Amino acid sequence: MREIDTKQVFTKDANKTYGLMELVKGTKPTVGLQPDDMVFTWPHLLIRELVLFVVVTAFLLVSAFFFDAPLEEIANPNHPPNPAKAPWYFLGLQELVSYSAFIGGVLVPTFIVVILMLVPFIDRKKIGIGKWFAKERSFANGIFLTFLIIMLILIIVGTYFRGPNWEFVIPWETGGLH
Amino acid sequence: MKIKDELINLNQQKQKGWFKQFWSNLYRSIFRYGKIPQDAEGQSYAVFNNLFLHIHPVKVSRHSLKFSYTFGLGIIAAILFLILTFTGVWLMFYYFPSATEAYNRMLDLRSSVDFGFVLRNVHKWAAEAMVVVVILHMARVFFTGGYKPPREFNWMIGVVLLLLTLGLSFTGYLLPWDQLAFWAITVGTSIAGYAPIIGEPLRKFLLGGDTVGQEALIRFYVLHVVILPGLMVIFMAIHFWRIRKDGGLSHPSENEPTKKGNSR
Repeated sequence: MREIDTKQVFTKDANKTYGLMELVKGTKPTVGLQPDDMVFTWPHLLIRELVLFVVVTAFLLVSAFFFDAPLEEIANPNHPPNPAKAPWYFLGLQELVSYSAFIGGVLVPTFIVVILMLVPFIDRKKIGIGKWFAKERSFANGIFLTFLIIMLILIIVGTYFRGPNWEFVIPWETGGLH
Repeated sequence: MKIKDELINLNQQKQKGWFKQFWSNLYRSIFRYGKIPQDAEGQSYAVFNNLFLHIHPVKVSRHSLKFSYTFGLGIIAAILFLILTFTGVWLMFYYFPSATEAYNRMLDLRSSVDFGFVLRNVHKWAAEAMVVVVILHMARVFFTGGYKPPREFNWMIGVVLLLLTLGLSFTGYLLPWDQLAFWAITVGTSIAGYAPIIGEPLRKFLLGGDTVGQEALIRFYVLHVVILPGLMVIFMAIHFWRIRKDGGLSHPSENEPTKKGNSR
């Protein structure tokens, strides 16, 4: 429920007099909002969706003409590549698996999913909503940003800095990225 | 439509030829409220009289339309899903989920199918983009406090949608049946196998055997083209519907007033 704003909505004109004419009670979503905060979905939102659709489609078509999706030789169960790598979004986990199968394969992914599910029940204070990186919530934002950066680093290490037998390699020294 | 307008409309119809009148009657039977809506009434009807548009509310807050607030990430993710469904169904005409045939079909897409390479490339890059965009969308919601009450449940649905996105990407990864696909799935499923007790049965259930083979291909195929997209549509519908039920996108006016005064 939104708090009903008891402050001034309009700036008062000094040359006019004001009086209470009517009291409207209600629980509609518009109560307590600035009078001009809402706009019609048609055309304001729909035109934006249409533009995004055109832009995304055009971007994909152009990318598709210039960059080919990878296709290697036919699958051969007898010739494993060294190293064999999972899809990129799992390479952070594969990197952790190289230290401990239990930590990377079980503990961390379970922990991530459970914590993500519980986030809105851990942090329920209605402060700093509707604003990017609000000061009031810098602690929560800091934790989440750290988590994202750690995952990103692990994925980058797994993608570019791991060579044969999952040994550490410097990509620009061994020639070519894998 | 007001009665007066309807009467004027009827008078005009009398003067039209039979075809124009039929056309106008047909059009009106489908779109009851005219062509491009000009006034508030028409703009409202345009949205809630249309099956495909009425997932939207009739009005939205200006704040939620600011590009710098959302970067359109949620809508881009939905658009990518549409594109993936369209290209995915198109690819199904050429694909065959067989360990001996699948790879040949990939080669066909490159050589003998008109624009087959574009079709496959769009599907591939849209899939990679969707994983990235869904993660960025989650980050946007977190950094703007969008998961706070009353949106707890929709955040959880969002986590499910992230897992489904990863599942769709992972099951699609095997289908080209090249070395990259085969060994990525071998490694990926072995990670699942590390879980105590349920790990090994889960891995065997996914693969339909001890190793990646024909059984695994058909299982991943069915998951990729039927089960996971079906679940995705259901959870997306709940996700969008809940945005409306929870009062639109998160908005600064939802903050509780502090001692210093309202932070609006």
